Amino acid sequence: MALQLNLLHEEILEQRQRQRDPLKIGMLVLASCGAILFLYYAWNAYRTIEIKSRLNHITADWKKIEPEVTKAQKHSAELTNVINTTRVLDDYIDNRFFWGPLLERLSRCVPPNAQLTSLEGQVLDEEKGGGISVTIDGVAAAREPRSAAEDLRQMLLEQLGKTYHDVKVEFKTLEDVETVANLGGANVPMSRFILAITFNPSAKPKPGATPAPTRVKRKGNDESS
Amino acid sequence: MNLPKLSKDEIKKLALSAIGFVVLLYVYFTFFLGPLQKSRDTTLAQIGGLQKKIDGSKGEMAKAANLERQAKDATIRFAALKALTPDGAPIAWFPPRMKTFFANQQIDKAVARLESNTNFKQPELSSWSKYNWLIELPQADFAALGKSIADLENAEPLLEITKLNIHVMPNDSQFQQIGIAATTVIEKR
Repeated sequence: MALQLNLLHEEILEQRQRQRDPLKIGMLVLASCGAILFLYYAWNAYRTIEIKSRLNHITADWKKIEPEVTKAQKHSAELTNVINTTRVLDDYIDNRFFWGPLLERLSRCVPPNAQLTSLEGQVLDEEKGGGISVTIDGVAAAREPRSAAEDLRQMLLEQLGKTYHDVKVEFKTLEDVETVANLGGANVPMSRFILAITFNPSAKPKPGATPAPTRVKRKGNDESS
Repeated sequence: MNLPKLSKDEIKKLALSAIGFVVLLYVYFTFFLGPLQKSRDTTLAQIGGLQKKIDGSKGEMAKAANLERQAKDATIRFAALKALTPDGAPIAWFPPRMKTFFANQQIDKAVARLESNTNFKQPELSSWSKYNWLIELPQADFAALGKSIADLENAEPLLEITKLNIHVMPNDSQFQQIGIAATTVIEKR
């Protein structure tokens, strides 16, 4: 076996020590990690720039659309307001009470031997239950003037019941007066009456409610009335 | 395992390298990657928000177009109701209008007075007011009155008669004195 002499022992040892210098190795590791981290950062930065560019594009699109959208929203709000207001006004118009037909019915109910001297009608507040209240003052002349007034009351009940609901026609006053009226050349006594009429113009009849009362033909009524 | 023995100096250098590595990581995440991520997240959120708005706006515009088609009748009717209210204060035009109306119905000397005016409670009618009038007809025939009231109710859809008083004239039972309390709905101008 050949003998080997290491004459550079110290130099080789120094070189080995330099090679395994922890600071140097650490710096190399740090530099490698730094490079990896930089690349990762660069990749992220690229993606962020790309996203920002997308945001700019979308912002530009939105700026183009926004005035139209605002206009459409404003127009929608106006239209909704118009629809709602028209609906409420239509309800108001439809829920009005028409006095013309009532006056026509009243005029048809009054017989020749009765005369109405005053009429006071009003639409009642919703808090008072709504409906219509009418007070009629008048006089009736016949051999039995109270029967003539009762005939008028029943006629009103029947005729108004055909159109309106919950009709009530009641005497507030019915009294004979001393004055006499000349009907067909004959003097007949008179009575004065006040009729209170209430009804509901729009309510639907309750299920099972009794039908509107019909006029009762009473025998023995004064024919002239 | 045969680990090389480290001298005191080498251990110092290793510790220094480790500290340097930790500092590097801290600086990297705190001052570089962190803000970048934050910026990206913010941008993504902004994109999401805008995209939502754009998608919503398409629906909004379609809804407006649809509503416009549906509101055609209501718009015409609303314009017609608005046209019933002339310009100017109601006290200036309503009494003459009533006088003319009843004069055309052969009922003279009609006088209309403003009793009060109030606002509606309903938010839909916030731009409309309620005016209460008292219309007096000193002399009218019952038949003509009935016809004129019916015509008035038909001609003035925004007018409602709330009270009606008819009294026979003391001197002439052929004619009546009439008091009409009416409420009109008038647009605020």
